[in-house]
Amino acid sequence: MTLTQLVDSLVTTAQVGSLYALMAVGLTLTMAVVKLPNFAHAELITFGAYTALVVSLFVTTNPLFAIGLAFPASALLAWAIHRLVYRPLVRQKSTTYVLILSSFAVGLIVRYTLFLLADRYDLFDKRIQIPLQVLVAIGPLRLTNIFVWVTLSSIILVILLTLLLNFTSLGRQMRALADNDTLARVLGVPVDRVTDLTWVLVGGMAGVAGALWGLYTFVDPLVGWLILLPVFAAAVLGGMRSFAGTILGAYIVAFGENTVMLLLNQTFGLDFSFKPAIPFVIIILVLLIRPQGFGGIGRSATEGGNA
Amino acid sequence: MLDLRTVRKHFGRLAAVAGVSLRVEAGEIVGLIGPNGSGKSTLLSTIAGAYCPDDGEILLDGQPIGGLAPDQIFARGLARSYQDPSLFFRMSALDNALLPARNQRGERARQALWRGRWWGQERANTAEAAAILHDLKLEARAQAPAADLSGGQMKLLEIGRTLMGEPRLLLLDEPTAGVAPGLAYTIFEEIERMRRLHRLTFLIVEHRLEILFDFVDRLYVMHLGQVIADGKPAEIEKNALVREVYFGE
Amino acid sequence: MILDPIGTLISLLTSFGVAAMIALSLNLEYGLGGIPNFGKALFVSIGAYTAGVTYTRLLPLLAGQAAPYPCGAGMSQALQVRTEIMRTLPAVGLTNFLMTLVIAAFIGGIVGYLASYPALRLKDEWFLGLVLLASSEVVRIVVRGAEPVICAHNGLSGLSQPFVFLPTAQLRAAAFAGMTLLAAALCYWFAQRVARSPYGRMLKAMRENSDVASGLGKPMARTRASVMVIGSAMAAVAGVFFVTNIGFASANDYVVGLTLDIWVMIVLGGLGNMRGALLGAAIITLLDRATAIAAIQANMLGSQFDFNYARYILFALILLVMLRYRRQGLLPEQLDTTGAGKFLTKLRRQDVASQKATVNRHA
Repeated sequence: MTLTQLVDSLVTTAQVGSLYALMAVGLTLTMAVVKLPNFAHAELITFGAYTALVVSLFVTTNPLFAIGLAFPASALLAWAIHRLVYRPLVRQKSTTYVLILSSFAVGLIVRYTLFLLADRYDLFDKRIQIPLQVLVAIGPLRLTNIFVWVTLSSIILVILLTLLLNFTSLGRQMRALADNDTLARVLGVPVDRVTDLTWVLVGGMAGVAGALWGLYTFVDPLVGWLILLPVFAAAVLGGMRSFAGTILGAYIVAFGENTVMLLLNQTFGLDFSFKPAIPFVIIILVLLIRPQGFGGIGRSATEGGNA
Repeated sequence: MLDLRTVRKHFGRLAAVAGVSLRVEAGEIVGLIGPNGSGKSTLLSTIAGAYCPDDGEILLDGQPIGGLAPDQIFARGLARSYQDPSLFFRMSALDNALLPARNQRGERARQALWRGRWWGQERANTAEAAAILHDLKLEARAQAPAADLSGGQMKLLEIGRTLMGEPRLLLLDEPTAGVAPGLAYTIFEEIERMRRLHRLTFLIVEHRLEILFDFVDRLYVMHLGQVIADGKPAEIEKNALVREVYFGE
Repeated sequence: MILDPIGTLISLLTSFGVAAMIALSLNLEYGLGGIPNFGKALFVSIGAYTAGVTYTRLLPLLAGQAAPYPCGAGMSQALQVRTEIMRTLPAVGLTNFLMTLVIAAFIGGIVGYLASYPALRLKDEWFLGLVLLASSEVVRIVVRGAEPVICAHNGLSGLSQPFVFLPTAQLRAAAFAGMTLLAAALCYWFAQRVARSPYGRMLKAMRENSDVASGLGKPMARTRASVMVIGSAMAAVAGVFFVTNIGFASANDYVVGLTLDIWVMIVLGGLGNMRGALLGAAIITLLDRATAIAAIQANMLGSQFDFNYARYILFALILLVMLRYRRQGLLPEQLDTTGAGKFLTKLRRQDVASQKATVNRHA
């Protein structure tokens, strides 16, 4: 293995990991606050990517615009799905399985509607066009403007969300809901409003993540679905509750998919076609061996204390 | 019959049950009381096998049962009820009553295929379950989904169905929780009747002390995971320590 | 317009038989037992991969020939060998097929048994669904990448159904449809018997509240394992029919989408009702075929609208509408599990009659 390959894989890890983090914190937030493993999170990502693509193709090539508009588009979609599908089901006291199935169904509807539209307007495998520039080239290290865009925006958004959760009243209310929704209700948290806003935030972030993903690779109705399980793996590593754990998890998954995969290929000749299995293996191992992920570290005192 | 020796159960740093010793003799009705969070429910769950005790011994008829699985403990004659109604709600009341019956041949997947091998037993069990439902005045509701029963009926069915498993010792967690006051007394009368009819022994967690005191032979009082007093109802009523922690006097 | 109505009907019946077997197996696992098997495709694929191995190794052996390596350079030669045997040696072909069914059921059962174990360790119930889904994808990716099973991403063709020795195409198709329906009927009988027994009652109790059932003396780990063994063996058997119906094994067929189709069938037909599983399988098979035909017709007419995409939207809508407005499905679960309720009614009638008789005697 050459040094260039190694450095390249680390750069990809940083870039993909940041994107995974941005996607996974949203997923963790839905699981913690709304108690819903949302498989349609994939399509919130895809929808953002398509919004950005359409804007960049037909309106303006300014990436800031394209990415910026992905936020409201996916936020609106997430909110509409919540109001039309999830909220009525939750009010019928549905089991988690029913909610999971309905999220699969919602995902399929959005995904194949996008397929129909992409088919109609010839929007398969398109890139969001921005001219590629190499900003840094020191020895084997090469950083492009896309890397900077993607990585910086992801990190900034994740930091903003963390600040929001920890230092605003909305964030406190969301955490109260995540800890104990009955108690939150009794304490007067406006549950409906907080849930609405959670979905807006989650959707918007997924949309931006999708747009950034489109900058980095290409846009296709399947993009979200194909990255959903690595994103789930990141959330699982975070114990599906902890923010810091999820972010760490996102980089671990990206590291596994890129650098570890490269090492396995170089040393054991493992074919790159096995790469998609890595996040799945992570999910299985973590759930079986340490289901709390990184989330339980230092909090064992509160676990099971409600008995 | 039941003998606990310094049983402990911790959750993280929280000692929910901090070294409890108690005895229940055959044929007794023993009450277990204490303020909320004193560890009563955890203790019942630990005895019934839902939790594995961290330390101490749990003996049923002199045999250790600590750490056994709940279904093994049930097989040895110990059944329990839960604080929240814990019926199988989308199953009929009759199916709820039939489930706990022991050694059902048709419960093995291979035998289940051949109706002739288990139908005779099923009919006998049904007659027995019908008698239990009749005694509890639930016969008319036998084929209704358990979810459609009233709160009191649910409690009665939950206790009554365990009889199908021929238990000798019953652990009841708040048998009158969520039940109208008039009916609460009826539930305890049923318990008393079951004790005489089936020679059962009871360990009962209950908040309605005014009723409980009328029916129990002895009481244990728990506070912060420990037994702080035990004795006959009259003694417990007079116990200064109990009055302090329990009645806030 | 359908060009060959009888042929279409026969192939529909075959597809229905396969779908029915998988739907019945999921209805046992989830409808009755409450196990969220989001990895159903894995257990179906076991049948397909088993067929991939038996058709390339066992079949030549049974015919007394050497088994050429099925992939790479020898691919077409190996294909010729197995096609030739299937055409000319019916007894060998049928024996191989039946042995494939048995081996698939056995392997499926073992994997199902293993898959029931994580449930003991998992903290949240739905994690099992995620673990099964992930396992299903891992196996698919591994098979797609590793050559020996079905020649990796190339797939394996020539896994023909056992009646290819018959003279006309329609006869072949009809014989295979008959065999598939017979297998489906056996699965139905099996599932129905299991569902309407004390074992079925125990499965329902596990679904409703497995902790309470365990407290009432029912061994939940064993029950979960046994239903997973039954369901997985049934799905693997269905997988053998599935793959030999297509004649081609490809890892890309056993994706999450297949699993979801089966879920739509049982939610539509009726969770916990075996007749419901059949009904759901029938409706979804019909709709699937109808959309496929519509897609071809639309394509020929030069329409932009692709019914192959619309199919997924339609199925998803069916799922959502059922979950929201008719959770119990078209045919709800039977409340009287074993017939004990009916017996009780009879018992009471006799009671009343004998009381009347007593009263009359005394009067």
